[in-house]
Amino acid sequence: MIHLDTNTLLWDRWLTHAGQTPASTAIIHYVAGEEPFVWTWSNLIGRASRYAAILKNAGVRHGQVCGLIIRHHREFYPIYMAVESLGALPAVLAYPNPRLHPDKFRQGLEGMSHRSGLDFILTEQDLEPMVRPLINNPVSTIKSLLFPLDWQTDPIMTSTSAPTTPHPALSPDSPALLQHSSGTTGLQKPVILSHRAILEHVHHYGRAIALTPTDKVCSWLPLYHDMGLIAAFHMPLAAGIPTIQIDPFEWVIAPVLLFDAISSEKATLSWLPNFAYNHMAERIHDDDLADIRLDSIRVLINCSEPVRAASHNRFAERFAALGLNRSALSASYAMAETTFAVTQTLPGREAPWIDADRQSLGEGNFVLVRPNQPSRRCVSSGLPIDGCDVRIVDDRRADLPDGRVGEIAVRSVSMFDGYRNNAEQTAKVLENGWYYTGDYGFRLGREHYIIGRKKDIIIVAGKNLYPEDIEDAVNSAPGIHPGRVIAFGAEDEAAGTEQICIIAETDAATDADRKQVRRGIIEAGMRVDVTIARTYLVPPRWLIKSSAGKPSRSANRDRALSELTPVE
Amino acid sequence: MISDRLKQIILRQLKLDDFPITAETTAPQVPGWDSLSHVGILAAIEKEYGIRFRTLEVIKFKNVGDLQAAIDKKTPK
Repeated sequence: MIHLDTNTLLWDRWLTHAGQTPASTAIIHYVAGEEPFVWTWSNLIGRASRYAAILKNAGVRHGQVCGLIIRHHREFYPIYMAVESLGALPAVLAYPNPRLHPDKFRQGLEGMSHRSGLDFILTEQDLEPMVRPLINNPVSTIKSLLFPLDWQTDPIMTSTSAPTTPHPALSPDSPALLQHSSGTTGLQKPVILSHRAILEHVHHYGRAIALTPTDKVCSWLPLYHDMGLIAAFHMPLAAGIPTIQIDPFEWVIAPVLLFDAISSEKATLSWLPNFAYNHMAERIHDDDLADIRLDSIRVLINCSEPVRAASHNRFAERFAALGLNRSALSASYAMAETTFAVTQTLPGREAPWIDADRQSLGEGNFVLVRPNQPSRRCVSSGLPIDGCDVRIVDDRRADLPDGRVGEIAVRSVSMFDGYRNNAEQTAKVLENGWYYTGDYGFRLGREHYIIGRKKDIIIVAGKNLYPEDIEDAVNSAPGIHPGRVIAFGAEDEAAGTEQICIIAETDAATDADRKQVRRGIIEAGMRVDVTIARTYLVPPRWLIKSSAGKPSRSANRDRALSELTPVE
Repeated sequence: MISDRLKQIILRQLKLDDFPITAETTAPQVPGWDSLSHVGILAAIEKEYGIRFRTLEVIKFKNVGDLQAAIDKKTPK
């Protein structure tokens, strides 16, 4: 087990590792086809201190928010740590996909700046034309654009500077970082976490997965996502165990890279969203697996989207011959608002599952499936980790007994203090220290089963998307009636995730016109970096309105899925 | 020069009737071509031509022209 002092700063924790084990590995930066780059603790802290000196000269001060928009790069880690060392708050933001329209990217960043109060953007020269107009906007909070990858020739980078001393005003309860609770650009909710919240989380979650000094994390997860940032980056850094970081873009295209790294580095832990199990089982060629061994994996944690039993099965069967132990297949329920994990299944045991009667479950009750009745296999996300309490509540937020489906409410020692600059949204979800998640599930004994969402969020490949963002984008597509569009998520069993569906009212009647409209909708989705898988085109006044006069997502979703065929 | 055979595989995978695809076309320009559908397109090409792309090759494809060149190298003239 690893025991942490949680009454300290992250930077001080890292300095301790550098002092005690300077030559041991902190981070392995992995790039396909290249020799992995190893950051020892000593090199990493030295490098971070030099970046910190330049950042300080550039005006970065404690309490300020620094948005980092940098692609997979070995210098990213010391830059991030440098921001942390100054007591400023790093906020990792997604590097824009080439599909994303520059205006949409700027708009998203502007909204984020408004809500998160971004002070500096640390990025690459390539993005300057896209980001610069924001700085020049008189109402912008962003003071300056910095390009730390270009500082390699700065004399400070080659000097021997002493490790940065944190600002004396900083305490373990000071804000340590800012992360966003969703992946879309328009409606992101910024969450501030303190040093103590993160270290408490590492302490408790580390116990839940029986973390030891011999563990090694391997991850392809993007660091703007809480699972990548907290589980696969902050946790190993705080615990002083190595983390292997793979480029998410490379992994999606060549998923065998994760196995390459696990096998060669003998990694023991990895976190994956459900779709990744299908993606790897489906897309990795047998002949790429010749030298791969997966015996070293101790716990593989399925998290960030609903856990599907079929995905675990497919993955376990496909890779059993490589030494993958089925008992490593575990699951967790997590969210940015509680730093990360809320529940976790027991390590060393496959995540348990149970077959529920589908109809009863739909009516809010868990009942074991009867013979020949439709069932739904529910996989447990485990039991609350220490420091976390979980309740299942009804619409009036009153507790429900075991087996009753309700909203999941969470209380945690690693809880956020509220969404930054958004008291209204905070008041909706935080009450008397409990965070009302908007997720639905039930409890049986100690096991918690997450089965759905109250909110309309669509989770595609572990990324949370708001239907409103997609509908806004699609509204501009030619041939559809503006405001008469619904976006929703539908289960994609083969991919182990959801796919985005659109229902749009249109006058287009001929086959050719309807195909043209569909293409316009897909292209509109691309401009906000989402892939629309199914398009249902309907005549005017087809959409069912809610009592508030707006088209109802759930009613229209059910109607489309039962009555319509998508345009192809 | 992009062969009609390659173009048809791409269009079929993306469920598109038609779309102008040239050697310079990149994935983000084509409706529905994202990183996940990209992997499906590569698998369809491998099946159709009876070839195999290596991991490093796959990561380095920048446009459809690169894809066509890799296919040409692996298929008998």
